[in-house]
Amino acid sequence: MLSPTKNSISANGDLLEVRNLAVSLGGNKILDKVNLAVKHGTIHALIGPNGAGKTTLIRSIMGGMPHQGLIRFLFTGNGRIGYVPQLLEFDHSVPITVFDFLSLMLQTTPVFLSRRRNKRAGIKRILAATDCEHLIDRLVGGLSGGEFRRVLLAQALTPTPELLLLDEPASNVDEYGVRQFEEMLVNLKQNHGHSILMVGHDLQMIIRIADRITAINRTVTFDGSADELQDPTMVARLFGLG
Amino acid sequence: MELIYEIISGWAKAGYMPAIFEHTFMIRGLLAAFIIGPLLGAIGTVVVTKKLSFFTQTIGNAAMSGVAIGLMFGEPVDGTYAGLYGFCLIVALLMTFVKNRSRLSNDTIIGVVLAQVLGIGIIMMIIVTSQFNIHQVEAILFGSLITLNDTDIIALAGAALVVGILFTFSFNRIMLAGFNSILAKARGFRPVLFEYIFVTFMTIVVVSSLKMIGALLVLVLVVVPAAGAQNIVHNLRQFVWVSVIFSTISTTGGLLLSGFLPVPSGAVIVLVSSILFYGSLLLKPFLGRAGVSQGEL
Repeated sequence: MLSPTKNSISANGDLLEVRNLAVSLGGNKILDKVNLAVKHGTIHALIGPNGAGKTTLIRSIMGGMPHQGLIRFLFTGNGRIGYVPQLLEFDHSVPITVFDFLSLMLQTTPVFLSRRRNKRAGIKRILAATDCEHLIDRLVGGLSGGEFRRVLLAQALTPTPELLLLDEPASNVDEYGVRQFEEMLVNLKQNHGHSILMVGHDLQMIIRIADRITAINRTVTFDGSADELQDPTMVARLFGLG
Repeated sequence: MELIYEIISGWAKAGYMPAIFEHTFMIRGLLAAFIIGPLLGAIGTVVVTKKLSFFTQTIGNAAMSGVAIGLMFGEPVDGTYAGLYGFCLIVALLMTFVKNRSRLSNDTIIGVVLAQVLGIGIIMMIIVTSQFNIHQVEAILFGSLITLNDTDIIALAGAALVVGILFTFSFNRIMLAGFNSILAKARGFRPVLFEYIFVTFMTIVVVSSLKMIGALLVLVLVVVPAAGAQNIVHNLRQFVWVSVIFSTISTTGGLLLSGFLPVPSGAVIVLVSSILFYGSLLLKPFLGRAGVSQGEL
């Protein structure tokens, strides 16, 4: 899919390096002089007020945005990036089940010609990674926000990616769902060695799980650990409240 | 072709089929119905998912200009293939290009083009034929089974075969791109490319079915079978197959009935597909999963 530069694992443990990134849209600078480094096996969170350019940064990393500056991947394996988008707009009345949804992405045989029974075990295994195999026959349009996030995360994990990009994974999810999602992300990092770069707006959640946090508002306004962000005056400054 | 006509009219004479099939034009119609029905049904599932109903209608309307352009370049009245396919394809691809390159919504672009291609088409038609021939206009708008010739059937079969095979094997990507393009892109597919491919397929199928159904009514066969199927199916596989069955029953059943009624075949096809749609709506509480599909998010 994407064709990142392959390299041996870097000495400083970096998986993704962004240096002096700038993105302009219609004459406006959306991002300017953005620098950040995501390390192997960590959860790295991107925060910032609305319109700060977080999604633009994610899209640039995905390769879907013309930009200036350097985006370098230091992958050692398949170089795959698993992506969970922020908002998925689709027609909720379309009769596509979770099984169909994953089949469309993962198989070449036309979905309406393939034998469903033979494929079920494989799809169930994929869904089990995010504890949602029970949703296999549900219509995608009928899932709750939290359920759909789990399905999206399951597809992003297949085939195993080197970097997981999550854009607002906890939006539209209730408090209980957020806690479950947190546990899942920590589990992916600790037990499966996944590297995760996530955009988030729920600061409490981010402080609980992120190893490193980068705040942006057109440019980087903070880059450090969760502990350094605990200071309330810092938060107020970052979100323009102070 | 003659052999097929002889066999079928033989069956009609022997009483195995309605007597109306002793006429060659009805046999041609039946062949066309069997070829075009399944294709329109299958393509309809993507049209409904991508919300392209009125895009389809625009292609139908563009046929008016297409025929006029064909006549202008000296094509025969009953075979303006280059003008029809050429102009409709240009309109379809241009609309897709503008949609992908501008900030205008799909709805606005369709609104701009929809009436233009019909209105300008009628003006061109009058200029080309030096008179307002209402029968010619009517044949385009409502279809004209009687003008369906052997070349039409062969062209239809060829187009159906090619589009059918290509559509089947690109179905997963076309459907995923239609369902959500961001996700399709993230999976390494090229949603814009598959949008162009689908629009090309759809235009070929729609234009191929114009003589039978007519420009004004073709929308029905692309949308109604898929919409009816949506009422009662539980997954994507059923969605495609039920839509194909509904569409094929509509084209063949409608044609059959039109043999007995003094109205254009397109209108009766609309009638049959509407009956299937409302029937599926009645069955929805028993077969559908309304509560689930309309669930909370």
